[in-house]
Amino acid sequence: MRVLVVDPDSARAALVAEGLSGVEPLEVRHAALYDPAEAAAFVPDVVVVAAESPDRDTIDSLREGSLTNPRPVVMFVDRSEAGLAEEAVRAGVAAYVVNGLAPERVRNVLEVAMTRFQLMHQLRKDLDKARADLLSRKTIERAKALLMKERGLEEEAAYRLLRKLSMDTGRPLGAVAADLLAFAGVLKGDPS
Amino acid sequence: MKRSLTLGYVPLVDAAGLIAAQSQGFFADEGLEVTLSREASWATIRDKVAVGALDGAHVLAPMVIAQTLGVGSDATPMIAPVTLACDASAITLSRRLGLDDARPAAALAERVAARRTMDASPLTFSSVFPYSTHNYLLRLWLSEAGVDPDRDVRLTIAPPPRMPELLASGIIEGFCAGEPWNSVAVAAGSGVLAARACDIAPGAPDKVLGLTEAWSRRHPETLAALIRAVVRGLRWTADPDHHDQLAEVLSQPHCLGVPRAMVAGGLAIARFDEGRPTHDQAAWLLDQMRRWGQVQGPGPDAEAVYRPDLFDQAWAKA
Repeated sequence: MRVLVVDPDSARAALVAEGLSGVEPLEVRHAALYDPAEAAAFVPDVVVVAAESPDRDTIDSLREGSLTNPRPVVMFVDRSEAGLAEEAVRAGVAAYVVNGLAPERVRNVLEVAMTRFQLMHQLRKDLDKARADLLSRKTIERAKALLMKERGLEEEAAYRLLRKLSMDTGRPLGAVAADLLAFAGVLKGDPS
Repeated sequence: MKRSLTLGYVPLVDAAGLIAAQSQGFFADEGLEVTLSREASWATIRDKVAVGALDGAHVLAPMVIAQTLGVGSDATPMIAPVTLACDASAITLSRRLGLDDARPAAALAERVAARRTMDASPLTFSSVFPYSTHNYLLRLWLSEAGVDPDRDVRLTIAPPPRMPELLASGIIEGFCAGEPWNSVAVAAGSGVLAARACDIAPGAPDKVLGLTEAWSRRHPETLAALIRAVVRGLRWTADPDHHDQLAEVLSQPHCLGVPRAMVAGGLAIARFDEGRPTHDQAAWLLDQMRRWGQVQGPGPDAEAVYRPDLFDQAWAKA
């Protein structure tokens, strides 16, 4: 397990290391400030950041970046911020750990955060795929309608023609349908 | 009526309205006991306001919309009853780039094109948060110069106080952030001012007073008093005669911790007199969020988030 702890104070990195002792292999790296190059080279499984770290916005934004690999993020919150920790645990991929937590619970919290993250990540991927599927179905419907209109085909025949094109070219049905619509647009003189 | 409040802010010149309301006793005049809490990041402010650890805060103008929509965080309905600053940020480029100061945007576009033909790594620019006017200004400025912000350069996020150091060490080639951090980079000799917010999108809102909608419903009288005190703070701040005094307060180590001259420069540029939030401001922000792919589908009604009605009511109740 590779853990990056971003915290001006080094004490919590020690706490994390202690809580994870027994996990093999384990590498806990402490950084006072977040350095993207260092993080990219280290490839952490989980990032632990102090809630009071000025680098929170940077790390927060990585979850949205499509270029960088998203990582689960765990937050350390000071005990004095009553309510923040408990409430914020609900907040998506970020889990909050209250300062002063017993080391033996650290492992549990990090594992829960990583599992949650995987789950959320999978859900998001499924959602994106569902959206893409829907889009491709709509494209196929439109291509079919175009063939019916331009070639005077029945619906069934139009679909068979599309499928034949797909098999002949070895490309997905959605892609063939999209090409057909694009070409039709060009022939009709649509700007493209 | 709730009288004791904690308001968060990030150390920037455009938090001046809140800081002036405190130092000039305008909160006290309204019977409010306010603690101003300096926060290290926008994400921390967002989370603390959402869970009630802060009653309200100095927040980035698009943050309240993003939070209401639940993009980038859990959905929490938010309101912005006061605009705290407009035109308070700028774009600074690295002096190391050696661009023609007279035409920085065109010169940068030429450099980007040249690097692409050489297959060199893209230049890196930072703004302060994905949902920030700074991110949109930087993107607009780059696009207008013919640079595709998503394809031709790398955009990253960094905390404003670290910008001058990231620029000086060559980790980034430019940034868009609020004052005093542009002035600090220019004074250090590592930065060249390329454009001001008012050159790119004049009147674009920079910061607002952000509160949860639930809080505002629970404490209508406190909200009205808070709006009045903050607006008095803004009007006081907008008066150039007060800038010396204000720069002294803001330059203190517990506040911004930079020399007075840099604070004064920022105070002179930012506009604090636009306290009344408008639906046009919200619409502009939502347009930007759509343009840059942060929001798909229907957005929240501007009426639900930017609340000139609450601003106006605060005076009716006075």
